[in-house]
Amino acid sequence: MKITYPHMGHLSAPISNMLRQLDIEVCPPPPITKKTVELGSLHSPEGVCLPYKINMGNFLESLDQGADAVITLCGAGKCRFGFYGALQKSALQRRKAVSFFTVDTEHLLGDLYRLLTKLSPRAGRLAILRAIALTVQKLRALDEISAAKNRFGARCIAPDKIIAFCEYGCGEIAECDTFGEISHIRDLILDIVSSQCDPEPTPVPRVALVGEFYVLLEPYVNHWIENHLITQGIHVQKFVNYGNWAYSKVFLQLLGLYNEETDYLAAARPYMTHHVGGDGLKSVGAAAISAAAGYDGIIHVYPFGCMPEIVAQYALKNLSADHSLPLLTLGVDEHSSAVGITTRLEAFADCIKRQKPNPRH
Amino acid sequence: MLVGCLADNRLSEYREIRPCPATPPLTSSYKSPCGFNTKQMEDNRLVGKISDITQAKENYMSINIGIPRAMLYHDFGRLWRHFFDALGEASTLSGETTKQHLDRGTSLAVDESCLPLKIYLGHVETLLPGCSHILVPRITRYHPGFYHCAKLAGLPDIVRNTFRLSADRIIAPNIETNGKPGIYKAAASAAAAAGHSRPAGCLALRRALATWRGQPAADAAVPMETGKKVAVIGHSYLLKDSFLCGDILAILKARAVTVLTPADLDNKLAYNEARRLSPDIYWQLPAKTAGAACHFAGRPDIAGLILVSSFGCGLDSMMNEYLEHRVLRPSNKPYLIISLDEHTGRAGVATRVEAFWDLVEWRQKP
Repeated sequence: MKITYPHMGHLSAPISNMLRQLDIEVCPPPPITKKTVELGSLHSPEGVCLPYKINMGNFLESLDQGADAVITLCGAGKCRFGFYGALQKSALQRRKAVSFFTVDTEHLLGDLYRLLTKLSPRAGRLAILRAIALTVQKLRALDEISAAKNRFGARCIAPDKIIAFCEYGCGEIAECDTFGEISHIRDLILDIVSSQCDPEPTPVPRVALVGEFYVLLEPYVNHWIENHLITQGIHVQKFVNYGNWAYSKVFLQLLGLYNEETDYLAAARPYMTHHVGGDGLKSVGAAAISAAAGYDGIIHVYPFGCMPEIVAQYALKNLSADHSLPLLTLGVDEHSSAVGITTRLEAFADCIKRQKPNPRH
Repeated sequence: MLVGCLADNRLSEYREIRPCPATPPLTSSYKSPCGFNTKQMEDNRLVGKISDITQAKENYMSINIGIPRAMLYHDFGRLWRHFFDALGEASTLSGETTKQHLDRGTSLAVDESCLPLKIYLGHVETLLPGCSHILVPRITRYHPGFYHCAKLAGLPDIVRNTFRLSADRIIAPNIETNGKPGIYKAAASAAAAAGHSRPAGCLALRRALATWRGQPAADAAVPMETGKKVAVIGHSYLLKDSFLCGDILAILKARAVTVLTPADLDNKLAYNEARRLSPDIYWQLPAKTAGAACHFAGRPDIAGLILVSSFGCGLDSMMNEYLEHRVLRPSNKPYLIISLDEHTGRAGVATRVEAFWDLVEWRQKP
């Protein structure tokens, strides 16, 4: 059985390493290209949101390369994500005999553990748990590198070099085999990145990036929005991270220690008073937190037609007006072009810099 | 449609607000400014708040609760009105949907919102000048294992944010439960928002439920047995809104076709059919349409199926595809999928429905 899975940012390498460690045959999906998006859109309902189409494109491309089993996430909420699995399964099985495995985000650890024992019957319990923990640790390290890239990249003279170096570092982290190696490489990268910057922190404009999980984490879809802002000398604070998400979903929520929604709900009042599914509440909560923390702007990115994010938009409009905070909403779909997004980002960056000039630029 | 007829018969009991052609006075407080002038915004909001409350106190000595005739009104509207009757409060229903509701809603709403949400906002706007409170229930889950969509879950927040209303002008009972206690709790909170005690709310709900259940389901519209039957499948807020679906039903009725809708089916039957089709469907409204589609597709006396949905409906964007491949195509019956939005022209819908009916007749020729 050759397993494949959908792309999401840097997730691919750690996942395929985890599966390989457990002696599971993996067929990683080819990188997302224009062809992936077109293929996915062709085999998807036209009105469905972008992540579905790209997942579908990933699956179809890997199936062409010989994969015959699919692992995908699925979560019952009020958003369409929970129904992805059922629809994709029936669409793929019309083309080819495919085994379809779903991991429910509400019981992430349990489902993942059961799935891995099924796929790799000879691996011991401890080996499986260690592989899961190692992957979560890698994802957390990737988060830290990404945060450092945003922080120091915006403040240094050659942001392009920092971005390239962090890309390289992410690749290195994905290949690690022990916890010690991960923390060693992570510290090394963080040291090098921070050494490229003045010891005194330069005041630069700060922008909060909020919105839907998938489009924020997959750079192909958001057209490398973070790198774009870094090169403009803007510090981007992203409120969605896979490592933190996986860590809290896998371990903390299991123990009942943490529920991120309560924090965001408290912050989002009075603009939003209830959970609306997906990341809607989180977007509003994160925007409210960054407004209170004195950020200079908010960028809201979501797939076109995303139901929870549309509800969030009603709240974000008022929030940005009340705090006189510039707000840029970017709805992306398979037709959005890099040029369109670049133009909007540049105009937004100009607007922010006029309010708070960066001494270096 | 049927609920609309019933409501019209009782016009004498309720004050009906016609959509006023003039822009309501509240406009200035919620129109978004081009710049980011916080102070002005805050002043506006404050003025809006105070004037709202004083207006409500001066103009209405008693409470008058506005109920928008949109979204889940078409399922539970009569229950809500019985509830406020039992509480002894006046309730006002907005008029039938018109072009003006849609146009105002479209300009108020975020562009990507779905059609029913735009219409909902249009209805709320016509109610605002005449009512002290607006009923905007947040209904997320009341049936075990089924959820409602994100927009229904965020409806009170959407209304509050669009019109910049203070929280006390909206009666927003929150129904997110699997059992009856949660519904009574919501009724108690609705009563509290209207200035009644919480036990009075529970009592009123009990009475309202008894009256509601006592009435014949589907208003006893006995279908004519003409032999030609077509199933029109869609959410009740589309099918029962004569502005949106009146044309489709009128064209079919003019050809002496009996139209069956999901409302003609027993809920339990529809949900069981949906469970059999796919246990993964966890949205309540699409589960009902899916169940109805399965049921009607399997009935030999149904000559064709029309699936009506609105553009931007997230759930239908996936369910329609699923139903098309799993139910409609295998059934080997003529089917038509219509997506409605604010640009839909009457002629476009009429042409499609007529062509569809020609196809059905052509197939039935010996």
